[in-house]
Amino acid sequence: MGFLAPWFLAGALALGVPVYLHLLRRHTTNPRPVSSLMFFEKRTQSSTRQRRLRFLLLLALRLAVLFFLVMAFANPFVNRRGKASAGDNLLLIVVDNSFSMREGTRLADAKREATSLLASRGGGSRAQVMTLGSQLTALTQPVQDPGVLRAAIAGIQPSDSRANFGELARGIRSLADSVHSPIEMHLFSDMQKSGMPASFSELSLPGNISLLLHPIVRDSVPNWTVESVNAPGQVWDPKKARVQAVIAGFHTPAATRSVTLVVNGKGVATQNANVPANGRVTVEFQTLDVPYGFSKCEVRIDSADTLPADDVTLFSVERADPEDVLFVHERGDTRSQVYFGAALVAAAESAFTVENVPADQMGNANLQKYAFVVLSDVTSVPSAFENDLLRYVQGGGSVLIAAGTSSSGHPHIPVFGGNISDTNDYSRGPERFTTVGDADPSHPSMQNIAKWSGVKFYYAEVVDPGDARVVARLTDGTPLLLDKKIGEGRVLLLASGLDNITNDFPLHPSFVPFIDQTARYLSGTERRSGSAVANSYLELRTAKEQAVSVEVIDPQGRRPLSIQEASSAQSFELTQAGFYELRLANGRRNVIGVNADRRESDLDVIPDETLALWKGNATPQTAASSPATASTTEEPVKPYGLWWYAMLVLLVAAIVESLFASGYLGTQREEP
Amino acid sequence: MQRFLDPRVLAGISGLDLVAKTVVDGFVAGLHRSPDFGFSQEFAEYRAYTPGDDLRHVDWNVYARTERAYLKRYRGETNSVLTLLLDASNSMNYTSHSVKKMDYARYTAASLFYLAIQDQRDAAGLIVFDDEVRNFIRPSTRQGQFHRLLSGLELAEPRARTDFAKPLRHFQEFLRRRGLVLILSDFYESPETIVRTVEPLRFHGNEVILFHILDPQEIRPNLGQSAILVDLETDERLEVTPEYAHDEYRKKMDAHIEALRDKTRAAGMDYYQLVTDRPLDGALREYLTIRQGKN
Repeated sequence: MGFLAPWFLAGALALGVPVYLHLLRRHTTNPRPVSSLMFFEKRTQSSTRQRRLRFLLLLALRLAVLFFLVMAFANPFVNRRGKASAGDNLLLIVVDNSFSMREGTRLADAKREATSLLASRGGGSRAQVMTLGSQLTALTQPVQDPGVLRAAIAGIQPSDSRANFGELARGIRSLADSVHSPIEMHLFSDMQKSGMPASFSELSLPGNISLLLHPIVRDSVPNWTVESVNAPGQVWDPKKARVQAVIAGFHTPAATRSVTLVVNGKGVATQNANVPANGRVTVEFQTLDVPYGFSKCEVRIDSADTLPADDVTLFSVERADPEDVLFVHERGDTRSQVYFGAALVAAAESAFTVENVPADQMGNANLQKYAFVVLSDVTSVPSAFENDLLRYVQGGGSVLIAAGTSSSGHPHIPVFGGNISDTNDYSRGPERFTTVGDADPSHPSMQNIAKWSGVKFYYAEVVDPGDARVVARLTDGTPLLLDKKIGEGRVLLLASGLDNITNDFPLHPSFVPFIDQTARYLSGTERRSGSAVANSYLELRTAKEQAVSVEVIDPQGRRPLSIQEASSAQSFELTQAGFYELRLANGRRNVIGVNADRRESDLDVIPDETLALWKGNATPQTAASSPATASTTEEPVKPYGLWWYAMLVLLVAAIVESLFASGYLGTQREEP
Repeated sequence: MQRFLDPRVLAGISGLDLVAKTVVDGFVAGLHRSPDFGFSQEFAEYRAYTPGDDLRHVDWNVYARTERAYLKRYRGETNSVLTLLLDASNSMNYTSHSVKKMDYARYTAASLFYLAIQDQRDAAGLIVFDDEVRNFIRPSTRQGQFHRLLSGLELAEPRARTDFAKPLRHFQEFLRRRGLVLILSDFYESPETIVRTVEPLRFHGNEVILFHILDPQEIRPNLGQSAILVDLETDERLEVTPEYAHDEYRKKMDAHIEALRDKTRAAGMDYYQLVTDRPLDGALREYLTIRQGKN
């Protein structure tokens, strides 16, 4: 017996009001003088006594009204247990079907135990079946039909997702918001340690949830896996491409594992890896000889363990010819082409081939074959070339212009159109140099702006930006990098040189990624990745590509997107391990190798103490730790509110009180 | 003039003599001329002369015209003795409005004295009693009697309780001459006791009138809620409910009044009820009716 809102009991102080009015205040009546009591007989007193009794009854009724009003608000309850509440309970069966459940007969064991639990409960109670992967998935609604529930359990298939018990707790908390009846949750899982969230508090469950754990395995199982593969997504020169694979062993003894690189189903190289006990080793394949186009590659080991699904890691490689870049420079300038070319080769993995041409030799060149054109501190270009270059940009081409010291005498910048209003020679100033001030990190060329902090600029042209986008400024506000869209193409202007005279940028480590990002930005190619983790999301289209349809083919060769989804979906979840083939909205084709999260390969289990703590966190009353005891748990105690009865008695008392009070008032009415 | 007989108006007049004059003058002015009352030298009738009659009473004018001797009859010396018995017990102190029963009795007594002494030259006396005779003013027609009586009324402050039996013998001692006896009281005694006590006065040849003075709340009490009632004479307390006061009490009071009226009249006495919220002319009219009967 208790009260759900005990603070309303303070309202019981109001009981003193009728007591005061009936008993205390009554005695303060002033005596009334009369000539004689001759005609007031003894019978008068009996009448008064009767009335006093009636008053007491009225007092009792009024006290009862107030008392039950207070009780109704205080909401008393009694704890009940038994069959009466069993029908209201929801039996929630959660089966872990994460990637690690592929080991041995884990999933089959879990399904069998879940089925036996369902059979032991019989019909009559509501139950729901869910699976735990990367998220909680309901396979059925709360139903009483055991056939539906058994079929749902039997239909559970292993997934390539990573189990997250924090996600389980979050899903159950959401469920408890809508289901107010007690929920008895049975979790059938291998209780993988890697599934625990970073914070234990994320496992907390609402009070109406009783958690019963059914660990399928008790001990850790040794397992080798290809933990990761570092391979380029695009290959332009197979001889320069390398593949690095990390072979890891979890709870394993030291062993030698055979590692094979498979390209399009054919093993092209094999190495032996000496994997230390419970450790990892890196294996490198020096070449990646793949044909032109997309190749489905994998790194495979012969683990001979009980989880073969993680013995292979998939990735795809696209081989293409390198694109040409036209680098136009002054005849005497040899530094800039060296720095630019070295940076481009080092960063872009031979994706581009630089063609260096002095400015005075530029004639009627076919610019359309170049990915982009670089004008490195050229004082002037032939007018014909400038016209070709302008048409090239307007037709969708891109130009990078570096304005060094040679440009100072020529106020006009080719193609860009802006004028050089002044020059800043910082080497003559007191500090001898300046640095980058404001920069726009959203611009593709400036994604590593933090690394520009140590770059010293000794000289910079002051360019009127006009309608160009200023991507970066020096600390004195001088525009350093400007991006201008002309026609369908764009021109990127660096108000300093690409040599080490006007700045020390080429000597700085941030120069290589800047050249890499700028080259990919100007050429319209982006670095692609050939692999992804299961349950990651793939962006299908950008904001400009809304109306264009995309196509996704999953590892089973099916198209998981409907026609409507194919024309509107922004992203797609890669749920299965295997090769996905995609045709994106920009028309490019892509192949992605999807692998399960390798944290699932660590088959270490959660310690019993942690499991006990988790169960205690859910409901202290249920201490079942084994499937046998779990199936025989007691009915949970349920508070049974009594406010409804209090309100009913209050209503009756109020009616009777009204009748008595009206009768009392009626006798005082004088005859006319 | 009728409004001057309102007890509430009279209560605002200081001095019983002025009250009495106001009442009587107002009352008389409200009457039409009547041959039934007047001064003692007033002509009454003619009677044939018989030998032995006093010749001074022969109307010689009539004899000259008719040669028959007639005697003129006058209303004789009909001076009566008015004795007023005033109950000055504590119960007379009760009131439910602005005029106490005692004040109402004083106004009535003063008016009767005024009418008797000033208008009719009757002798008037006063006995004030409760459970003893507290004051006695012998009936007289002497100069200043009226003011002595008023002074006696002024001094008659209610106290103690009523007991008719005890002062009875004193009444008989004092009332040696036959006359008119008026008793002003609230008569909180059984009718049998009252009549048994007062009846000897009637046997003595007196005209006895009982003026029953009651407050309207004594006849029709109205209690809004249960109340503790205190007896003004005995200080006894009793809690009474509105239902009882509304039903039982009224029945008992009505029965009491009815019994007192019946037994009083059965004993050859007159009974008149005076309610303190009504004008005072009722008592005067009753008095004059009795006086007419005596003549």
